Amino acid sequence: MAEPRTAPEQSAREEGLEFLEPRVHGEGFPMAQVFGYGGSLLLTFGSFFLVTRHLMPPVILLAVILTLAIGQAALQLGVFMHIRESRGPAWQLMPLGLAFFIALGMIGMSIWIMMFKAGVS
Amino acid sequence: MALPGWMLYLIHTLFPADTRRPTELGADVLIIATGAILFYILIIKGRWRHVWTEWITTVDHKKIAVLYLIGAIAMLFRAGVDALMLRTQLALPHQHLLSALEYDQLFTTHGTIMIFFMAMPFIFALFNAVIPLQIGSRDVAFPRLNAMSFWLFAFGALLLNMSFVVGGSPSAGWTAYPPLSENVFLPGVGQNYYLMSLLIAGIGTTMTGINFVVTILRMRAPGMTLMKLPLFAWSALMTSALIIFAFPPLTVALSMTLIDRLFQSSFFTLGHGGMPMMYVNLFWLFGHPEVYIVVLPAFGIFSEVVATFSSKRLFGYEVMVASLVSIMFLAYGTWVHHFFTMGAGPAVNAFFGLSTMLIAIPTGVKIFNWIFTMWGGRIRMTVAMLYQMAFIPTFVIGGATGIILATVPVDYQFHNTYFLVAHFHNVLIGGTLFGLLSGMYYWWPKMFGMKLDEHQGKWAFWLFFLGFWVTFFPQYLLGLEGMQRRMNTYPFGLGWHLLNVISTIGAFGMGAAFIVLVYNVVWSLRYGERDLTGDAWDGRTLEWAISSPAPEYNFARIPVITDRDPWWAMKESGATLANSLSPADIHAIEMPKNTPVPFLLGASFFLFGFGMVFSWWYVAVLGLLCVIATLIYSGFNYEEHALLTADVIRGTEASLGRLQA
Ligand code: HEM
Ligand SMILES: [Cu+2]
Repeated sequence: MAEPRTAPEQSAREEGLEFLEPRVHGEGFPMAQVFGYGGSLLLTFGSFFLVTRHLMPPVILLAVILTLAIGQAALQLGVFMHIRESRGPAWQLMPLGLAFFIALGMIGMSIWIMMFKAGVS
Repeated sequence: MALPGWMLYLIHTLFPADTRRPTELGADVLIIATGAILFYILIIKGRWRHVWTEWITTVDHKKIAVLYLIGAIAMLFRAGVDALMLRTQLALPHQHLLSALEYDQLFTTHGTIMIFFMAMPFIFALFNAVIPLQIGSRDVAFPRLNAMSFWLFAFGALLLNMSFVVGGSPSAGWTAYPPLSENVFLPGVGQNYYLMSLLIAGIGTTMTGINFVVTILRMRAPGMTLMKLPLFAWSALMTSALIIFAFPPLTVALSMTLIDRLFQSSFFTLGHGGMPMMYVNLFWLFGHPEVYIVVLPAFGIFSEVVATFSSKRLFGYEVMVASLVSIMFLAYGTWVHHFFTMGAGPAVNAFFGLSTMLIAIPTGVKIFNWIFTMWGGRIRMTVAMLYQMAFIPTFVIGGATGIILATVPVDYQFHNTYFLVAHFHNVLIGGTLFGLLSGMYYWWPKMFGMKLDEHQGKWAFWLFFLGFWVTFFPQYLLGLEGMQRRMNTYPFGLGWHLLNVISTIGAFGMGAAFIVLVYNVVWSLRYGERDLTGDAWDGRTLEWAISSPAPEYNFARIPVITDRDPWWAMKESGATLANSLSPADIHAIEMPKNTPVPFLLGASFFLFGFGMVFSWWYVAVLGLLCVIATLIYSGFNYEEHALLTADVIRGTEASLGRLQA
């Protein structure tokens, strides 16, 4: 979906609006995206399979599905989150950094809370 | 007469006993009557074509704003009626107007609708109506996605409201804690409705969050640096940042409950190693940021309103921005204060008690800055400003009782009493609702081209304000006297009688306020004072520079920003947009075309949700296939733009008197 923009025949550059210009790169079939999507599904169903079949002892299982999860996060970031693209300042990196910061905080604090260290309080 | 088996099954499933009580039958009559009126208007009078081309398929942020607003007001009505029924039941001790189940269902839908289907769409109404105009943009970054967000909200809301008359309402509270919300305790479809409607609406909300982050970061007019961004836009940016990271934990918690209920897993069940407390953690991981999602926009609105009606530049802009940003971060680190009594340990509780109190600091800073803005200004007491004036003391008291609740040992006493109920209504009504109503009165001329009548508006305001305090002040005292939240009735002789009577009277005062408000809106739409200048309040920010309502393309020429209050600066220097636009400045504009995709997507999700609610897998799969088909159609639809020629725009601008001869 593109944003509404000034007509192509007008020089958007004069108004300082060049960032609104559409960027059409002659692309072929989106191999990377299809691969990323299929790979993500595979990783999800893989961990689902491992958990429902109880193939390993719980601790190892946890370690394995965590690894799969990290792999999937990396895959999606690389394929879908435009990490490597930029025209001018890489605006997309700022929210991504924020996401990491907040997600790590949430996970860390959740682990702390759910350990119930003190027993009764 | 013997009905065939499948019909008996359908009747039994769709209309179980709790949809055949007098209230539900009454609602049925209302729904059928409304349906008949709609049928008459749309089909018999042939307005459906207009509704379809102008509204249902629209991708224009200004029209989507109107749609959101209609939805929000309708939901305010629905959830308000719920509240009045609850208060009627509680007015006197030992009353049994409502059964315990009916009472549970009413407070569940009241809370869920008020937060997710009233506050959120009301906020998005104002974001959509104002943000693109304020930052000098022609639309949001992704107009079609924006329409999709709206229709997902609308069909999610429809699903939840339908539960009342088809299948049975949810009854586990707006927080829906397991194990109560699991199959063992609530086997009906009510909880499924709750889960599916919030999941569907949640997709829309997340997309809106993304849309506004991109819009505000990337679509600002040239010259509008982040430190020249109006505060309402800053608050929208921070709200969106909260939405993007707070909704995933909710989605996870809801999906896991859904999988428990529909596919017999045991994430949160009591048996089989389930962990209900994990749901509580996940829910509030979302829930606390959510309360700031609904209050930050109000902060933004007040920052605009107070500057305009004090005819002064906002005091301490940089500090206001800094406190918005720090509230955004802090809001992610306080969620345990909703479950101190779960007993995660003294260290955890002390940490989160402190972090909660920390939020009061930036909030207090903002309060002082609003007061300093008024200080020495020429104040105009419009309705929007009245809400702002009422907000300050009300919110301060709500914040103060919040601090009391954040003190862990004290919270062990007050948790889940009416003291808590009073606290959060104090901040939600005094903060969020007053803020949204203030914004509605303030930006109404920009949205509809006429003012809401001030005299009637003041009546509604005073009824709301007084009604609010009469309702909720007694509830603080009731909490201190030990009245628990969510009780459906209470015995004689506990000293709760009088306070409950007063509270119910106040609630009906707010009911009256709502009626006056609606009258105010309807009256003003017909007879209200037209706004021909585009600048109804002598405003400061960019949205007041264009005509009211804004033309389809917003700005014929994107302005270049040099000042934090750009329109004020233009007025000071005498160079208005109106007389600076010459015909040669105007070029053709490419606009996004209307599309039925968002509506169809919402309808497909609705079908999917409905199938899931009743575990009718064929229906659910069909709905999902429709979702995929709509997306594929949308993805291969390359003709999404139409050209608005320069001549058309010149014509429009000239008819608005905004073109140099
Ligand atoms: C200085 C600011 C605030 C502080 C210190 C604060 C503190 C608290 C605490 C400690 C609780 C939990 C009490 C308990 O369950 O026993 C609570 C509940 C709540 N607060 Fe606040 N709060 C503040 C502002 C707000 C705001 C701005 C909102 C929304 C606009 C809000 C909405 C709520 C809601 C909805 C609940 C209860 C939800 C439920 O249990 O159903 N609070 N607050
Ligand atoms: Cu909270």
